[in-house]
Amino acid sequence: MSKQKAHYFHAIQILGDNCTGCTSCVRVCPTEAIRVRNRKAIIDPTRCIDCGNCVTVCHFHAIIPRSDSMKILEDYKYKVAILPAAYFGQFTEDVSYEVAKAAVLKIGFDEVAEEAVITEFMVKVIRQYIRNNRDKRPILSSNCPAVVRLIQVKYPSLLPSVFHQEAPMSILTRYLREIIEEEKGIKDEDLGIFLIAPCVAHVTAVHQPEGAHTHLQDGAFSVSMIYGKAREHIKELQNNPPKIDTYPKGLTWALSGVQAELVDCEDIRTLSVNGIENVMEILSRVEDHYLDQYDYIVLRSCTNGCVGGCLNVENPFVAMSRLKKMIKEGKPNEINLEGIDKLYNSGEFDVVPLAPRPIMELDKDIKSAIKKMKRINEFLTMLPGLNCGACGSPSCYALAEDIVQDRASLDDCVVLLKRHSKEEEDNY
Amino acid sequence: MGEYWNIKPELEDSVKQHFSAPPEAEVELEFEVPEKDFNTAGRGSSEVKDLLKRLGVDSETLRRIAVASYEAEINLAAHSKGGVMSCMIYDDLIHLRFLDKGPGIEDITQAMIPGYSTADELVREFGFGAGLGLPNIQKNSDALHIQSAKGSSTLLELLIFFSAP
Repeated sequence: MSKQKAHYFHAIQILGDNCTGCTSCVRVCPTEAIRVRNRKAIIDPTRCIDCGNCVTVCHFHAIIPRSDSMKILEDYKYKVAILPAAYFGQFTEDVSYEVAKAAVLKIGFDEVAEEAVITEFMVKVIRQYIRNNRDKRPILSSNCPAVVRLIQVKYPSLLPSVFHQEAPMSILTRYLREIIEEEKGIKDEDLGIFLIAPCVAHVTAVHQPEGAHTHLQDGAFSVSMIYGKAREHIKELQNNPPKIDTYPKGLTWALSGVQAELVDCEDIRTLSVNGIENVMEILSRVEDHYLDQYDYIVLRSCTNGCVGGCLNVENPFVAMSRLKKMIKEGKPNEINLEGIDKLYNSGEFDVVPLAPRPIMELDKDIKSAIKKMKRINEFLTMLPGLNCGACGSPSCYALAEDIVQDRASLDDCVVLLKRHSKEEEDNY
Repeated sequence: MGEYWNIKPELEDSVKQHFSAPPEAEVELEFEVPEKDFNTAGRGSSEVKDLLKRLGVDSETLRRIAVASYEAEINLAAHSKGGVMSCMIYDDLIHLRFLDKGPGIEDITQAMIPGYSTADELVREFGFGAGLGLPNIQKNSDALHIQSAKGSSTLLELLIFFSAP
């Protein structure tokens, strides 16, 4: 397992040749991680949380998602694909759940597993965790990797409240490693487990897991790429309907609201939030202790949950509607996850406490930080306050901060430059 | 004229010194808090919180400041005819000051009892007015000072030290 190199990784890549320096990405970044300098966008890797906003907004194909090449499959004898529930929302309604799933077996995988299979188990684990950690309420969901990273950089005081167990995808991977080795006699190094990712944050999480003890998956491919390859086999499979297990009742993972409803019960009150702006507002309210009436808050960075990830092909609302239909019409299926409880009880799904990655601090020392803050305020009074972003920083405040931190100069402000040149003209 | 003081005993000297000769603040912020405007109420506390994160104030202190300032700001919107929230930041503490335009608190001691509330229907509809505002502010502050009388304006100010002993 894990033949890929481990180095700090972001699943977002800037193609400098395509970048026009338009600053669209600068303005949509929730952690202010992007600047345009010398007419090219640059991302600060310590601030980036892999939410994918910049990928979605870039019209010049200059910020593109990075995922692995299918070539890496050649390194393994037995290849398993883990499908996220969102995958099934991508196909038109004439393509059945079975066909969409079986198609993945035609494109180079020996086995296909679904996130949906462990939904019920996850609900049990989450409920148990909430009941054991009443002092930390509300517990914040951790299965959206962008949200976990957002909390690390902007809301570090909330880290103890984050659900500290492996994400469903990783629990499933851990379980599959165990049973495939046992049942099929395949050695661990011959077994490759790959995540089909709906968003860049999940690709990053595969290569750079937060809190995990070990690397679990061997690579990540985008939903759109797998969808493209799987489509070629749809016709053939529709004429020859495959027999393959499906878990319609577990497809809820891709949908933010539905997941919360599953965990909700007599003694657990849940709240569901999606879209990064909403998530930030809610996290700020949690900091103020204004949402203490909730026991569990499901937070998803993308619109409607994972169906909104930027590596999908279908619109998030259409995909959500299709999944809801599948959930409603699907018959409950007997799910047998023998041995998963044993792994859980022996602590195999535990994670190390998440560490803060504070980005906001101006200085380690509060006195120096105050000095910098005063200088920022001085520059702020000189700047026009238009927040136009033309300087390449997301706002006048950010430019003032960049100036004080020696990352920009007052001359970067286009508006001031224009005013000055006009004054000079008037003087002559 | 009613006046109320609550100071953590171990901090009495530093608090008295601060109030008797208030030094010039390092950073000052001021926010208008309009009456019954629950859309903008809370913005001041949110900005203060962002600023303190930039200064690197530790997360437990930040939590106490967030709770106290948010409660006080909502109080201003809910119970008064509006007012001003000011925030004075020093290198060792934060001083928050909330001055409204009336109508004043008749009995401050009674207002400090958990569960006591004079909130009207509108305020309760917004989900506020459980009567936990003032006690909660007191719980999270190192020093709390309230000055008011029926028919006049209310001044509420609090201090929270950055590295609480």
